[in-house]
Amino acid sequence: MAVVAVELIVTSHFPPVWRLLDTGVRRAAENMALNRALLEARQSDVAPNTIRFLGFEPSALLGFHQSAEQELDLDYCAANGVTVQRRITGGGAIYMDADQLGWELYVDRRALGLAEMSQIAEKICTAAATGLQQLGVNAQFRPRNDIEVEGRKLSGTGGAFDGEALMYQGTLLLRFDVEKMLRVLRIPAEKLADKAIASARDRVTSLAVLLDVVPERVAIIATLSKALANAFGVSLQAGELNAAEIGLYEAALKEIDHPDWVYGVSKPATDRPTVTAQRKFAGGTLRVNVAYDLPQQRLRQVWFSGDVFISPRRTLMDLESRLRDVLIGRMPVTVEDFFAERQVDALGITPQNIVELIQAALVDVPVI
Amino acid sequence: MATVRGCNLPDDLFYNIDNNVWARREADGTLTVGMTAYACSLAGEIVSYTPKKAGKEIEQNKSVSTVESGKWVGPVKAPVTGEVIAINPDVAAKPGTINADPYGSGWLVKMKPTDWAGQSGSLITGAAVATGFDAKMTADGFAGC
Repeated sequence: MAVVAVELIVTSHFPPVWRLLDTGVRRAAENMALNRALLEARQSDVAPNTIRFLGFEPSALLGFHQSAEQELDLDYCAANGVTVQRRITGGGAIYMDADQLGWELYVDRRALGLAEMSQIAEKICTAAATGLQQLGVNAQFRPRNDIEVEGRKLSGTGGAFDGEALMYQGTLLLRFDVEKMLRVLRIPAEKLADKAIASARDRVTSLAVLLDVVPERVAIIATLSKALANAFGVSLQAGELNAAEIGLYEAALKEIDHPDWVYGVSKPATDRPTVTAQRKFAGGTLRVNVAYDLPQQRLRQVWFSGDVFISPRRTLMDLESRLRDVLIGRMPVTVEDFFAERQVDALGITPQNIVELIQAALVDVPVI
Repeated sequence: MATVRGCNLPDDLFYNIDNNVWARREADGTLTVGMTAYACSLAGEIVSYTPKKAGKEIEQNKSVSTVESGKWVGPVKAPVTGEVIAINPDVAAKPGTINADPYGSGWLVKMKPTDWAGQSGSLITGAAVATGFDAKMTADGFAGC
């Protein structure tokens, strides 16, 4: 009994140790195969809880359930050396290259003490935001999955799970090549030329925009990993991939580094129309672009633009975030709830006006 | 009928509690498989569903379908080994049906079990359902549906 008691005391005084892994810059297929291998290794308990940092050669990454035809300009990608890959995590397509740093956690769910997936995402994103604050930016978690600065996205995130093992990943924008992102992704505002670029700059930011000098990669990793470790009450020890993980990685790479994996989800572009509408109000013109999921009758992405006066300025960006993946039938109540929750000064524009604007954009979309 | 911390968990179904999945044995010996109300509550609204193709043989505890909610992707695992014989077109069209009616129209796949007599003993049914899920919810730190 005495031995057991001593062990308990010792355990309680030393925080658990998680592994810190930096796998450097790799091809997208290798990074995706490592995602699967490390998640499987964590699930089989042959690898410890891990924080990983990673980099990418130029690549367009689809969300797990997305189709390349719907999301990407494949001709542009092929002509410009942008590799197309599919993640094992959810969410939307992103462009990655040397201007982004990837960060990931592989943990047993029980180490987090939280059950609901949304709470887990919030805890991890809040911890990462704390680390970014220590780099000198006012980063905050924005439901459901973003880290933003003054309404502009700095880090997007998503997760995958298998049994009790979780993998959660985020991208940190060090610099931001707006034009390249717009060309790679078939985003709703792509036809707006200069306005699209301005519009993207309103929504996305980077450390280069926010700070006089972008910190060195190694300094960012040190700060972010420390904040994540503090949030979960653990200490970190630098490590390498183990033999079990390398075996799982090689098996995963065979499947993932193959067109059947990348293009395995095929949905016609006609099922994802992009529609638009605009209205003049006393306070200016408001335009909306909607990427619509026709089979599911769901808003996939909503973009507002125009010269209306709305304060705070971030209001419409936050509303875009709230409307992502919302069923069209729930759009009116979602808009009403959003405005009921906050103090907004919108000269002459009511929540009902915004509901009607979105409905006007969708007026010619067939009901199926 | 069992309700555990507000989650409906019908006690006439067969459950793998760790995997949060249920199976109903139909009169013809086939199985209908789905996510529990508890699993739906943890996940939030399901926005995508990709089942394994009909005709595919799936081993017990391997994925029969992948679902996505709030940018989280994860598998739903087969309660027993068997062949997928049907997938749910209503759920493919509206994945939120899983949350709205997890034991009815929100089923995920139908399976023809390979060895129901041999494997069903590992599943939980009847009075043990409530106690089993209550223990899991305690371990997970879950407040309620």
